[in-house]
Amino acid sequence: MDIMSIANSPAMWIACAIPVCFVVLQAVLFLREARKAGAEMGLTNEQMKNAMRSSAVTSIGPSIVVLSGMLSLLVTVGAPVGWMRLSMIGSVMFESIAAGLGTSAVGVTLGTDPMTAEALGMAVWTMILCSIGWVIFATFSANKMDKIEAKVAKGNTATMTMIASCAIIGVFSAMCASHLIKPVYQLALAADPAVVAGSWKNCLACVLGAVIMYVLNTVAGKKGIGWLKEWALTITILVAMIITALI
Amino acid sequence: MRERNKIWRKPKWITKTFYNEKYMPKVNRIGKLTGYLGVVLAFAPALMLAVVYGILPKGAALATAFIAGASSFGVLWFVEPISYFPVVGSAGTYMAFLSGNISNMRIPCASMAQVAADTKPGTEEGSVIATIGMAISIIINVSVLTVGAILGASVLSMLPDGVRAALNFLLPALFGALLVQFGMRLKKHALIMVVIALALYFAIGMGWFAWLPGASNWLGTLGCVFLSIAIGLATLKNNSKKEQA
Repeated sequence: MDIMSIANSPAMWIACAIPVCFVVLQAVLFLREARKAGAEMGLTNEQMKNAMRSSAVTSIGPSIVVLSGMLSLLVTVGAPVGWMRLSMIGSVMFESIAAGLGTSAVGVTLGTDPMTAEALGMAVWTMILCSIGWVIFATFSANKMDKIEAKVAKGNTATMTMIASCAIIGVFSAMCASHLIKPVYQLALAADPAVVAGSWKNCLACVLGAVIMYVLNTVAGKKGIGWLKEWALTITILVAMIITALI
Repeated sequence: MRERNKIWRKPKWITKTFYNEKYMPKVNRIGKLTGYLGVVLAFAPALMLAVVYGILPKGAALATAFIAGASSFGVLWFVEPISYFPVVGSAGTYMAFLSGNISNMRIPCASMAQVAADTKPGTEEGSVIATIGMAISIIINVSVLTVGAILGASVLSMLPDGVRAALNFLLPALFGALLVQFGMRLKKHALIMVVIALALYFAIGMGWFAWLPGASNWLGTLGCVFLSIAIGLATLKNNSKKEQA
């Protein structure tokens, strides 16, 4: 039997559906608890509905990015495994590297050489073994870190809000800086001009995203336009993406 | 005596609220159970290959690949949950690491949900709303991927090249927009953090931290999150001193 038809067989679809459904099940369980707690704590139905809608709208763009990254995995390890790996503990970059490490240990270069049975097994096992570390440590440590944070903040709400707000700013300044500064150090290191040009475009997209969001948020805030506030993020990333692609 | 014992066992900053007494214990129970069970279930496709098709990799080759993977990602297993915890909290940590795509999807969705519900990060209400936001983003994300996987590579590759090229710019634009969204509340702090982050990433890019294993993967986020918290807490302390004086 051809190896790619094994990789895309109904049996593999079933095996991969188990962990994928489990991820959704976990999300549903947490959603139910959080909604119950929210009602108990005095959050209005309106607030929770707004939260759900806003999150759904925000998910769509990044989901499509992941989907387009999934293409290469679908071709190399088959649709079911690619689907499962990106729905669970997944990130496109990590999965492709892990799959490549697995196959290269048995002498198959992922994406160039034809897939063999041995290499497929290696890719699947390596992706799984290399990804569970995150879940094991996160699951083990979550409640412990919660206790540490409570101790640091000593139950002071202002301190807790400060920690969380600063952490968010920290995460996104890190993500932005990684795109903004890349062309600069690539120039300093005399990288390939084509590579540097690509980095400048990412840098531009990041700047445009920030500027457009600033304008839209300010306008929406000053004029009190509710729908603009809600759609500002979606409009921003679409416009920034299109302008960058056209330049 | 009994009274004193009680006080000793419960630090005074843990208040008796529904959130602390009922919700958090349940979150931890669900989180631990689903987290560890998820790890076991992740092996389903590997076992299917072994049992039905008899494809089982040789131990030595697998060990080689695993060691190569662990030496490039191993630090991330520990650093990422610690870096992202102050942002996503307990329930968020259980969910985000089982589902993945943390910085590009889970955190943006959880944070935007808080904005939409008009709750503050770090509060009990904010944490419940973030959990709702994250759960919804997982459901949407898995649905989109499922449609994509069923349509298959042949259909997906029909996306025009221009669209696929443009998609590369979505994440940088999203990060820029979110930095503004959350930075506007603490403008001065956000500006300082951007300067620090640029300096840190420049140093990492130039390879000045090459002596730290895999630093380019984790040092930036870890450094920025904890520097940002440290600076924020220092400012808070400073301000309260000024108020008292």
